[in-house]
Formats: sequence, C-alpha cells, structure tokens
Amino acid sequence: MVVAIAQKNVRVEGLVQSFGRQTVLDGIDLEIGRGVFGLLGPNGAGKTTLLRTLATIVGPKRGTVRLLGLNPAQAGERREIRRQLGYLPQQLGYYPNFTVFEFVEYFALLKEMPAADVRPAVVRAIERVGLADRARSKLKTLSGGMLRRVGIAQAIVNDPALLLLDEPTAGLDPEQRVNFRALLREIGERSSVIVSTHLIEDVAAACSEIALLDAGRVVFNGTPDELTLLGEGGAGDSPLERGYTRVLAGARA
Amino acid sequence: MKHDNLESGRDALPLTAHDVDLDRVWMNVAAEIWPEPIGAIERSARRLLGSPGLARALVTTPSLVLSWLLASVALLVAGVVATQTTGEPWIALLLPALAGVGVAYAYGPGIDPAFELGQTMAVSTRMVLLTRVCAVFGLNALLGLLATLFAPGIAGLTLGWLLPMAMIAALGLAAATSARSATTGVGVALAVWGLIVLGSAYGTRDLATAVQSDALLPLYALGTLLCGALTLFMTNGNRWNRGFLWS
Repeated sequence: MVVAIAQKNVRVEGLVQSFGRQTVLDGIDLEIGRGVFGLLGPNGAGKTTLLRTLATIVGPKRGTVRLLGLNPAQAGERREIRRQLGYLPQQLGYYPNFTVFEFVEYFALLKEMPAADVRPAVVRAIERVGLADRARSKLKTLSGGMLRRVGIAQAIVNDPALLLLDEPTAGLDPEQRVNFRALLREIGERSSVIVSTHLIEDVAAACSEIALLDAGRVVFNGTPDELTLLGEGGAGDSPLERGYTRVLAGARA
Repeated sequence: MKHDNLESGRDALPLTAHDVDLDRVWMNVAAEIWPEPIGAIERSARRLLGSPGLARALVTTPSLVLSWLLASVALLVAGVVATQTTGEPWIALLLPALAGVGVAYAYGPGIDPAFELGQTMAVSTRMVLLTRVCAVFGLNALLGLLATLFAPGIAGLTLGWLLPMAMIAALGLAAATSARSATTGVGVALAVWGLIVLGSAYGTRDLATAVQSDALLPLYALGTLLCGALTLFMTNGNRWNRGFLWS
C-alpha cells in the first residue's frame, strides 16, 4: 500500500538564533506544508528573525533548516531555494525613480526567471495586486499602501513554492485586505505561505495553521479553531484574540 | 463555399472571440507597452554576463548613472586644466580618489535601500557587488587614461596612477563591506589617500611622489591584494551559516 506523505516545504529543528548575547530564537521546531501558515506573537517574539532565517538572509546559530527539501547552508541549494522563494520584508526598501513595472521586473530577473517569462509574469503579478493602472508610475509617487502592494507583487512574481510575508497588510485599507486574503488563499492551494502578522482577523480569515511565538519559543502550534478553544477566560474582543492572550499568559506564568 | 449542414458550416467559420485567450493576449500587450525598451548597453551586458539579472543590476549601479558620470568627467576636466596650468600632476592624484569613491558607492547595505530583499535573490549580492565594482573601476581607468592623454607634461606618469587607484578602490570597498556602509568606505578611501599623498610629499616636497615613487609600488600591490582578500572574505556566502548577512 502506498502511503502519500504530505510534502513539508519547511522543516526547522532546534533552531537557535542569537545576535551578540541576545538569544532571539530559542529552539524552534516547525514543519510547514502547503497552505497558509500564520505567525503570531508580540513585538520582539522573534517572528521577523524566523522569517529572515527562512528567507535565507541569515543562517542559524544552531539547529537545522530545510526548505523545499533543500539545505540552505549549501550555496548551490540555497540558490535553487531562492529561485522558488518569495519574500516581503517588514520594511520594504525601494528605488524611488523605478516604476512599478521596473521594480517588479528587476527582482524577477534577480530570481533568475526564464527571460521570456519575465514580462508576462510581471504583468500578472501587478494585476493580481490591483496596480495595473499604476504600472508606469514611479514608486516615489505611490502611497504607503500601494508600495506595500508593489512589495507583494515582487514577492509573488515567480509563483513561489515558498512565500514569506512579514506584516503584508500594513497600510492596506479593509477592502485591499479582503482582496489580499483571497490572494493568499489562492496561492496557498499550491504553495507554502507563511505570514507574520499582528492582525488576528488576517489569521482567522486566511490561515489554516498558526504558530504563536513568545520570547523566541513556540508556545502554540495548531489550527485557529484549536487556539479559539483555549480562549476561555482570556482577554480580547474575538474568540481567537482571547485564545491568543490566554496562551501567552499561560506561557509567561 | 456552400455547406449542406449546420455542423460543417460552423467548422468553416473564422475564429471568434470565444476561441481567443483574451487574458493571455492582454498580458502580452501589457508586457510590451508597460516597460521601457531594454537599452543597447543592457542588451550587451546580458550577452557578456550571461545573466539578465546581473545585467540589470549593472546598468542600475549608482556610480554609473549619467549624473555621476557627468560629475566625474567634470572633475577630470578640472584636473586636466589644473595639471596643464600648474605643471603638478593633479590629474594623477585625483584619479585614485575618484575611483575610491565610485567603487565604495557601487553597492552594499548602506547604499541600496532594497539590500535586504536583494539578499533573498538567486543572483547573489556578492555577484552584484563584484560585477558593479569591476565595471566602475574599469570605467574610471578608461576615463583616467583619456584624461592623462590630454595632460601633457606628465609623460612617464601615464599609468603611474593605476596601481594607487587599484589600492584605494580596493580599500574603499573593503571598508564599505566590512562596515556595511558606503559612506564609511568613501571616508576611509579619501582619508588614506590624503595621508599617502601628504606623507610621501613630506620629505621630497613633491606632491607627485605618491604616484611617482617606485618604492611605493610594492606597498600599493600588497594593499590591493589584502583589501581584495578582505572584501572576498566579508562577502563570502559560505559564511551564511555563521549568521553573517552577506550572501
């Protein structure tokens, strides 16, 4: 009998990350497959550091990381991971005199997409984030929310197998957030999407699984419904929020 | 042509809009009209480098944009005029400083606002850096050669500036990559070159000593090699798993 094993695109074992004397991640274990995975946690919990580690920006101090079945510590495999990776940093730097199209195209080229596929892919990415009418606008003329959408466009231009988004909805209005969650769900059908966010409603609407980080450790890993069930007695305006605060309080007790 | 039945008549009809993937047509149209055409320099760079990504990174180098080049040319023209009028080899003294600044400003976390994003790209930041540095240094060397052709009276110094230029450029780059700051690289390059020029002129009372003395050549060569090695070390992607941020 053949047993189908769900492909885990992200495997992290015993991940420790520190900068100087400060330990930022303290023994993280995670396995993430296809779908939308939410990273929750208070400021300083280590969410951004975890995403930057998965984005192959910085290697782990200790522990192992496997992405898309490849070892990012090996230069050749790291390059292959990056071809299939999309990343939106928390602080998106941009080139003011680039147009929207030029910015997304630039990173599509740096991801080593086949040259013939680049321009149609850039058009599609720009359309998916609702910026078709601003494709030829210079980035310095865009609002904060539009810039965020440009960042999302460059992250999805190569149809990544692993998509990492750090606070993607910052600056987006409610309608744009609704559209963005639909986009996440669509991408999550084929890829692994990891979203770091403070917004509980984003997690509730888009994520099939979540991890709650606190002080560099995973204090909860499960579905939104499971977190909701833990919410009795917690503070918050929604069941998920109450689960969040209750679990954090328990972890700190 | 007549057809006896509706079925064969329908087969003979031309394609309708239902048979055309309008989404794909639109994407191809937009892909043609939204971007600017790729320039001749970038097309040549693509062929030379074998990488469209590297070629695009090259033509967007801050110290290769038109305004920067025009400023460099203006500075060199001023240097040529000063050399012609005073008889001092100002142009030869200027070239290492110019290259040091240009190379330090080629690339890095202090100069590229999207550097963090660049670190997640398949084309590594190190390749971008090395490609840009080679281009900036090569262009500065070419401009320098042209400038010295217009500066008579310094025969024998035509290439005397090249090794100091290599060393100061390598020093600026090493400082910029070590400190993760282009400004630091510029400052170190200019400060060290100033010290070398003034220090070597102290005994001889000749500013040209820095680009004329054979005794300094081994020091320039050694400095270039050491600074180059430091740059390669600081940008080594194999240090990734020790938590450093160049990739």
